[in-house]
Amino acid sequence: MRARALVLGILSSTAVLAVGWQLGTQGETQPAPDAVAASTAGTSTPGTPTVTPDATSTPAPSASASAAATAAPAATPTPTVAGGVSGTFTGTSVQTRFGPVQVQITVADGTITDVTALQLTDKDQRSVSISNRAAPVLRQEVLTAQSANVQGVSGATYTSDGYLSSLQSALDQAGL
Amino acid sequence: MTLRTAPSPGSRTRRAPGPVDRARRIRTRRRLRAADLMVALVWASVAAAVALWLASGGLNAVTDAASALTAAGIVTGLIGTDLILVMLVLAARIPAIDRVVGQDRAIAFHRQLGKPALYLILAHGALLTVGYAMADGSNVVTETISLFQGPDMALAYLGLGLLVAVVITSVVAVRRRFSYEAWHLVHLLSYAAVLVALPHQLSAGGVLADGTLQRVYWIGLYVLAFGAIAVFRFAVPALRSARHGIRVAGVEQIAPGVVSIHLEGRELNRLGTAGGQYAIWRFWTGVTWWHAHPISFSAVPTATSARITVRDLGTGSAAIGRVRPGTRVSIEGPYGVFTEAHRVAPKLAVVAAGIGITPIRSLLEHSGLRPGEATVILRGTDPTQSYLWNEIGDLPGMRGNAVYTMMGARPHGLATWMSAEALSRGVTISTAFPDLLNSDLYVCGPQSWTDLVIRDARAAGLPEAQIHVERFDW
Repeated sequence: MRARALVLGILSSTAVLAVGWQLGTQGETQPAPDAVAASTAGTSTPGTPTVTPDATSTPAPSASASAAATAAPAATPTPTVAGGVSGTFTGTSVQTRFGPVQVQITVADGTITDVTALQLTDKDQRSVSISNRAAPVLRQEVLTAQSANVQGVSGATYTSDGYLSSLQSALDQAGL
Repeated sequence: MTLRTAPSPGSRTRRAPGPVDRARRIRTRRRLRAADLMVALVWASVAAAVALWLASGGLNAVTDAASALTAAGIVTGLIGTDLILVMLVLAARIPAIDRVVGQDRAIAFHRQLGKPALYLILAHGALLTVGYAMADGSNVVTETISLFQGPDMALAYLGLGLLVAVVITSVVAVRRRFSYEAWHLVHLLSYAAVLVALPHQLSAGGVLADGTLQRVYWIGLYVLAFGAIAVFRFAVPALRSARHGIRVAGVEQIAPGVVSIHLEGRELNRLGTAGGQYAIWRFWTGVTWWHAHPISFSAVPTATSARITVRDLGTGSAAIGRVRPGTRVSIEGPYGVFTEAHRVAPKLAVVAAGIGITPIRSLLEHSGLRPGEATVILRGTDPTQSYLWNEIGDLPGMRGNAVYTMMGARPHGLATWMSAEALSRGVTISTAFPDLLNSDLYVCGPQSWTDLVIRDARAAGLPEAQIHVERFDW
């Protein structure tokens, strides 16, 4: 009878694991409802998780920033010559379970020249350190791809989702 | 050995398997199937813990050493917590579990899971701290301090500390350096340990995020485990105690250190006690109210009365021998599978030693025995250990069944359950029970003695399903 218990146990465990694995590999993770999933942010293979602290894009996830975070997206487009739109565009503040995320882009002549994180996930120490690690990587990827169509940073799923989602709304305002 | 009652003349004829045996076979098959399903369920719950992590896309997050350590930390935490919840369910005294495998085997399994679960939880903390430290490029100490400042993490560390305390006291208690009562109080801390760990499971990490099925399942597990405990360990015993209004009717000293406690109450027959079962009793006096004791019924309860018999094994049970008539008593139970319901074979072989006679007495009283069906051996070192022996032969069901007594010390330096005298006469378990292989063997006595009986029974070729043991330990 022990043998039957063993077989039953192995079979049921395998079935349960297979279902879990299937759910996990079915593309996306299930996003939390309050975190607006960026259309492009998958959790699939990451790009280059080489963490290089970038001085130009120090994220400042301070508590004071959260007051301004919910302000309406501000855009200051400058009418320009033929090449394309220029100016700074602020994305919407995206709520995640580890805090709101909001980014601002600088566009010159239709090209994204900089991405600044106005606010990043900062619910606790751990979130802050994840944000500090993810932001430079995300910024670099966006500047290279010139779109929100980049891979998120592994181990920073929520930060990546919020970042790219806010970025997309900024891009929409810029008409890029 | 001395023959106490004459076997009936017809006892030698082999009985053809009748409808009783067929019913017994069907019942056994059902029970084994239920037991196998329960084992499979435990397996599946462990797999489900891993599946939660897989379903949240956990595999995709593993890219380097740091994330691999973090992932291992998450998985060990999930499995460890799942095992602890399984342990709570095993200790919740759920009637279905008691009926199928018996509370003693459930607790034995509970005990086996204790250390692995603790190791998994310790690994969970260590792996995540190292994994985070590597990812952040900091060191373990800084990371621990930073983790501690997280919202629910201080509680989680508290839970870990409590868990360590519970397991250590259990391991020490098993070695008898701790009194049962003190151990029991510390053990109640495990409920707190599991509960305070819940907030960080729900708030940290992404596996059990808001609105996911994983979160619903996980909270469901907690509700199941704590619900089972609330219902079967607290609500049911409280209601049952209130309903039956049990009080001590009298205390009867039947041997040095051995007392029979006569109880009275309402509708005690509706407790549904089967012969051979025990209950966990709490006597509401100033010195005994805070600890409960498992004590076997030494007689099947009638509508208004019940009897339990106990030997003082610890300070707690010694105090029980001094309770006054009229003392209120609460009951948890009855529990136990040392009953007729678990019989699988046509004949019955019974060995009892010392205080082990108590469940044997009520088992034999409750069994509808045919003449020649049962053979009973009562074992004692000296005449002071022959309590309740005189009642065995007088039981109505024992008419035409043989009761032998085997009195005397065991020989020095020999591992045997028999007296030196019986051994010198060449008695073995097979000569003592001539039809052993066609019998259910019921053994009750001190642990080491019981083990020796079982050793001999196995050596004689008795299948495991036909061996029934009631252990008097906790």
